[in-house]
Amino acid sequence: MERNNHDKAAVRVSDIWKSYGGTAVLKGVDITLLPGQVHALLGGNGAGKSTLMKSIAGLVSPESGSIEINGQALNNPSPAAAQALGLYLVPQEAQILPNQSVLENICLGLRSSAKALRGDIEKLVNDLSVRLDLDAQAATLEIADRQIVEILRGLIRKARVLILDEPTSALTPHEANALFDRVRQLQEQGVGIFFISHKLREIREICDVISVLRDGAIVLYGTLDDYNDHQIVEAMTKSAGGETANVTAPKRQRTTDFNLASNVLEITGFSGEGFRDISFDVRAGEIVGLAGVVGAGRSELAETLFGLRPSGSGTVKLQGKDLINRSPRTCVDAGLVYLPEDRQQNGLFLEASLAWNMSGYTMHRMGFFPKGKRETGEFSEFREALGIKCEGPGQAAGRLSGGNQQKVLLAKCLAANPRVLILDEPTRGVDVAARNDIYRLIHQLAEKGLGVLLISSDFDEIEQLADRVIVMAHGHQCGELSRQAINVDAIAHLAFESGAASHA
Amino acid sequence: MLDFFARNRVATLFGVTVLAFLLIGMVAPGYLSLSTASVIMSNSLVLMTVALGTMLVILTRNIDVSSGSVLGLSAVILGLLLNNGMGLAPAIIICLLCGALAGLFNGILVTFFSVPSIIATLGTLGLFRGIMLILTGGKWIEELPQSLKFLAENGSIGISVLTVAVVIALAGVWAITRHTRFGRYFYAVGDNREAARHLGIRIHLVQISAFVAAGTLAALAGIIFAAQIGFIPNQAGNGVELKAIAANVLGGVSLLGGSGSVPGVFVGVIFMTSIDSALVFLKIPAFWNDFIAGAVLLLVLLLDGRVRIAVEKAIRAKRYAVHSPNTGSGTTGPVHNTPSPTSSTPGPQEHAQ
Repeated sequence: MERNNHDKAAVRVSDIWKSYGGTAVLKGVDITLLPGQVHALLGGNGAGKSTLMKSIAGLVSPESGSIEINGQALNNPSPAAAQALGLYLVPQEAQILPNQSVLENICLGLRSSAKALRGDIEKLVNDLSVRLDLDAQAATLEIADRQIVEILRGLIRKARVLILDEPTSALTPHEANALFDRVRQLQEQGVGIFFISHKLREIREICDVISVLRDGAIVLYGTLDDYNDHQIVEAMTKSAGGETANVTAPKRQRTTDFNLASNVLEITGFSGEGFRDISFDVRAGEIVGLAGVVGAGRSELAETLFGLRPSGSGTVKLQGKDLINRSPRTCVDAGLVYLPEDRQQNGLFLEASLAWNMSGYTMHRMGFFPKGKRETGEFSEFREALGIKCEGPGQAAGRLSGGNQQKVLLAKCLAANPRVLILDEPTRGVDVAARNDIYRLIHQLAEKGLGVLLISSDFDEIEQLADRVIVMAHGHQCGELSRQAINVDAIAHLAFESGAASHA
Repeated sequence: MLDFFARNRVATLFGVTVLAFLLIGMVAPGYLSLSTASVIMSNSLVLMTVALGTMLVILTRNIDVSSGSVLGLSAVILGLLLNNGMGLAPAIIICLLCGALAGLFNGILVTFFSVPSIIATLGTLGLFRGIMLILTGGKWIEELPQSLKFLAENGSIGISVLTVAVVIALAGVWAITRHTRFGRYFYAVGDNREAARHLGIRIHLVQISAFVAAGTLAALAGIIFAAQIGFIPNQAGNGVELKAIAANVLGGVSLLGGSGSVPGVFVGVIFMTSIDSALVFLKIPAFWNDFIAGAVLLLVLLLDGRVRIAVEKAIRAKRYAVHSPNTGSGTTGPVHNTPSPTSSTPGPQEHAQ
């Protein structure tokens, strides 16, 4: 490794400034990445990490300051220029060309033809120990596979600098480990890597140095071994009202006896696209975790419950009443609300105002002329209750950070005054502080008597929140855990092994 | 079977066209002849050329509704130059350059000034038509030289110089979009503009190129128009842009960008042109043309939509068959390539029936 080679930094950024609409987002940031180094970059929502990385990747032009990649200055920033200097940014939201083949998606923009690169790509796919059909149309890929396409794009470009923006947020633990092995290999080959993540455990596992960004400036920099988790989180969150967020939200006290509480949601022998014969119930005030790996059929189950997909056989009862002919409208009116997994695609109206977004589920109850006053009233209520950081009710939803967008969606669900709330991956791409806020909210909702069905691939999250866990694998219900039996290992055991066993 | 139709849109339309020819041939003897084919071919040249350029623009997820006016303007420029005694070759070159310039103007509006393409080209639709009228003073250009009209005359094997030019244009665009790196960029930019930018593709350059090509091809269509009818009326090219868009849609070019092909446009144009010629043979009065053309277009698109829905349903059923109790997938560990419709944007309309 060439860690001491200070003359040849892979990336050297000095004193860059950038502002949007008069607000400075980057205030004179200096950051250096050495070849063969994995450099963790942490920061809350709006701290400026993505602006910083986009500047380095040529997607954003800073107002002043200089950026050097592999010893050469990045003048006239553009993605093409940055890539020519040997840098590739793997974005958090995979950028896919849906009508092209997977192979074409990986090779596009390269000089060599897709045919010539096929062998190399197949080898990389093998190294990553993932399965990917190179000839499939990219539109059919799941989110995790899209992410893998992005990572392959970076690898096939033989980049000397890689920026990985939350690369594991859509991966299963198994895939994430394979990715880390690959990152270590690249590190040995002298590739410099910026690694953006909210998961401290991951960062400790593969990063050498850490920089923490807050309000557009670096507030902590050093070798990872020199800081403990508390110091890192403190550096990240200090300015947010002077209060430091906890590294982890308090674990839920599982004391209430739910056997006495009434069932709010009962599902019996339920089958549909991607899942079969599922039966469970959710009681008032209970958080039921629905765990499993990506592709286990959990989102399909939720979407079928909410009337987005044709349902097969089985019954669904909400507060004792049969829910037949389900459509999103009848479900909302009956008190069942769904927070979808992909907030950009299925959840938010990105161009519309926050107030409009929040009244999304209740619009049909507002009469022919929806009253703006009522909307804004509702808005300020939720803004305070959920701690949404925004300019006001008229701001476009697309301009908020991930965590705040998720809170807006949560507010939309709550505005419908539901009895049962289905949350699908509620903290994906959300930073530590906002995640804790969301956890606290889910607790509060359960205490108020709401039944919560929590779908998550993050087993830590399930362990922290759920009173009871249903585990699914390959579309089947393969286990149930309650109370003290809930821990990450037990869930993982069920999700991976029983799924394999039942199909072996 | 259904699968085949959905995947081979062009082949399907081709089959429908052939079937239509045969049916009309049965009703009206004499329709199926080389002379009919020759008439359809030469009648389709103008629309073919415009539609080809329109396809390039649509591929990049823009639209060009100004091509009718570009056609008229460049035809007028050609006519004025020729009638002032310029030679045929330089006049044609200047005419094509004017088309390219008009396309460049559209492209700059759309990229550097970020005007949505429908609005930018609606504006230039009027603008270019206006320039044309100013140039002619509102008069028709008549008495075009014989050398121009000669281009449209069928030679010994029934093919005119113009037909050859159009075939070359078709082959050229086909080769570029199909076989070159730059050609793939047209698809990429239309498929997901952000992704294309992210991959280092110069999206402005690609979009401008599409508009310039569309302008140049519209100018070529103007030359064909002038040569075929021998004079240039004020309304030359009026409405051809919409026909070109319709032919693209018929030929399977997605208005959302990112998919479509030259053979598709070719068959789409032939189909639309042959409707007109068939009506003559069926002795249906000419004022029925628009009505019948519109109805046929709707019918084809409706059928196409039905087929697509049926195919999607079949694919979904196949995809989820894995989860039925009797057919174990036999995999150990997480399954990666079981595609989930979460990613293929499940919309309520898919479940409407």
